[in-house]
Amino acid sequence: MSLFDKLFRGRQERSSDVARERLLTVLVHDRVKLTPEILAQMKAELAEVVARYVPGANPDEIDVTLMRGESNDHIKADIPLRRSAN
Amino acid sequence: MSRVITITSGKGGVGKTTSTANLGTALAMQGAKVAVVDADIGLRNLDVVMGLENRIVYDLVDVIEGRCRLRQALIKDKHFPDLCLLPAAQTRDKDAVSVDDMIALAHQLRTEFDYVLIDSPAGIEAGFRNAIAGADEVVIITTPEVSAVRDADRIVGLVEAFEKSHPRLVINRIKPRMVSRGDMMSVEDVLQILAIDLIGVVPDDEQIVTATNRGEVAVLDRASRAGRAFIDIARRLGGEEVPFASLDEPQGLMDRFFGMFGRRSTR
Repeated sequence: MSLFDKLFRGRQERSSDVARERLLTVLVHDRVKLTPEILAQMKAELAEVVARYVPGANPDEIDVTLMRGESNDHIKADIPLRRSAN
Repeated sequence: MSRVITITSGKGGVGKTTSTANLGTALAMQGAKVAVVDADIGLRNLDVVMGLENRIVYDLVDVIEGRCRLRQALIKDKHFPDLCLLPAAQTRDKDAVSVDDMIALAHQLRTEFDYVLIDSPAGIEAGFRNAIAGADEVVIITTPEVSAVRDADRIVGLVEAFEKSHPRLVINRIKPRMVSRGDMMSVEDVLQILAIDLIGVVPDDEQIVTATNRGEVAVLDRASRAGRAFIDIARRLGGEEVPFASLDEPQGLMDRFFGMFGRRSTR
């Protein structure tokens, strides 16, 4: 973001980044036909399974993206783990 | 070895017909024999874009239904005798044509031309399926907007489902200044999302509008940036390795001033 933008638009996110992120979300539905409800459910279950083995997974922080590869699509789940206090 | 190439997009209004006219003309400029086919039955447009609307006698449906021979329906271009247009029917509905008809037609055209470019209708229904049925290759046109990219993604999936070889992408109407401001998705953004091979980037260019107003194509105008981009795409279609030209526009004083701040922060 240029200085000009910073001065006159405040801290607004670049609209091209918003476009890219919205597209990635919408394509998850288009390609795999995941509704937002099912996606939320999948995230919760992923968190549950991960938490069974590693503590600290929070369903709200899981980032699920769908990517198109050479011959297959991939679901990529980024699951941040809270560091424990010890 | 002739090639049948379908130009498609999913979304309407992203520049399929303009791309078909310009690529057909650019290939003819290189000395190839080219047929451009308007497969948008009922919404004929390629003829007006090429300035050939007054010469139409027969159309694609006349050929398919046997009312004329293929040669009678082909219209010679104003500038290049080896470039021909097969116009769409204006008064018929799209059910007048079947997948088998289009395969047979592509086969017939292949015997006479080096390149057969098929201008697909928008959408993903019968007209689109007809348009890609006889194709060896598919070129997908998109613009850097969410709706166009989303539809292009559907088309990529469908093209692969119909077992056509890898489709290639043209990103049309890119505005470099908006991209550098972060207000338009970049070529890289779109490629990352669609993950198919890029065959060209066409800058937004008012000369496309003025050329089309006159029934001319931009590739004939050396001053047209979009025209030059289409010439590069035609060379790539022919198998040449053509480097992707820089999209930087010649800048005015104000742009250069603000550019000093902007350049530092390319994320």
